[in-house]
Amino acid sequence: MAMNFHQSAIKTRFAVRFVQAMKRLNKRRGVTTTDSYKRYRATRAAACASMASAVGPQRAWSRAVLSKTKRRRFQAISRKRRLINPRRNLGFGQEEDLRGLVPGGKGMEYCSLLSETAHYIRCLQAQIQVMTDILHHSSSLN
Amino acid sequence: MDPPLVNEASFTAAANPNSYSLAGLLSFSGGLGLRMGNLGGGDEESTVTEQSGSGNGGAKRRRDVGTSFDDESSKLVSTSSANQDESDYNAKRAKVSVSESEDQLKMEEETHSGSSSKPVEEKSKPEPPKDYIHVRARRGQATDSHSLAERARREKISERMKILQDLVPGCNKVIGKALVLDEIINYIQSLQRQVEFLSMKLEAVNSRLSPTIEGFSSKDLAGPAFDANGMIYGPQTPGVYARGSHAEWLHMQVGGGFERST
Repeated sequence: MAMNFHQSAIKTRFAVRFVQAMKRLNKRRGVTTTDSYKRYRATRAAACASMASAVGPQRAWSRAVLSKTKRRRFQAISRKRRLINPRRNLGFGQEEDLRGLVPGGKGMEYCSLLSETAHYIRCLQAQIQVMTDILHHSSSLN
Repeated sequence: MDPPLVNEASFTAAANPNSYSLAGLLSFSGGLGLRMGNLGGGDEESTVTEQSGSGNGGAKRRRDVGTSFDDESSKLVSTSSANQDESDYNAKRAKVSVSESEDQLKMEEETHSGSSSKPVEEKSKPEPPKDYIHVRARRGQATDSHSLAERARREKISERMKILQDLVPGCNKVIGKALVLDEIINYIQSLQRQVEFLSMKLEAVNSRLSPTIEGFSSKDLAGPAFDANGMIYGPQTPGVYARGSHAEWLHMQVGGGFERST
């Protein structure tokens, strides 16, 4: 399967969303918040969710991230049990590790798990690059 | 030609409409393998082409190397014969063409689309062949539908594994599926750790230098600075990475209007 991965478009979208989210976080908590771990968690979640929304809903892993964030946000009462395909092969340790690492990887068929893993790796690489660039940019401004 | 074929001794075999095609397939694939061995072809892959339509044509074969097969092989099970007379006819013709396959194979390998020039086809109405299923099987491999589907799936998995191997640096030299999976898992973990490290740094910058972050504009980031294709994969940042916290980053509630940007 051909991976049409528009790297620069995804990077741009991620950068815009992530910076907007950071601004919002900064505005919301003001200047005098002390809990740095909480802020770190918020920033990290913002990074992951901006990446997922930059990718869009056509990928399984981004769908999983987005639905999790939304479910958490609206405090959905019904915690849906995750759909697990009973026909999937019960993998060994490594395969289970991989399923745990890729979002939404549980209950995925093995073929699609591999392709989702490939896409997820590329998205993580793009995310790291953009975040590094933002960091350099903001530290050079100072 | 049709009525005597229907009423002949092949009726018992054709009473079970699924058995005849399988038997024809199996016997044929053996014959083709022998045939290809005699010809001494470079690759020993043969293609068994079966027609799944019930109304027209019998079991035909042709040599077709360049067919792309994905997972259509599972449709082989769905060979349905609605009409009993037609299935009789198909069975009979399958038997006939198995006996005549020596002659037809030579011809079909040259013409590659000799559906109308076959002697068996001449006896029947000239119907256009449709709805073929291409299945590739090496010599000596099983040709029932489950093995074929499983083979197609394994091929897909190995192809995607190759894509992943190209993606993960230093993974091309690793041999063995388990080691490759190990490399992939380690790489994903290191990437996630890097994201955590970077978000920690950015959080510090964001809280310390709030005017600077406010000074960001989207135009700065949309520029060609991010079009560089060189992927940064530095040494792994020593981590605050706890394994249990991985699942929790998804659950984090980011509050505010973060969701609006989606």
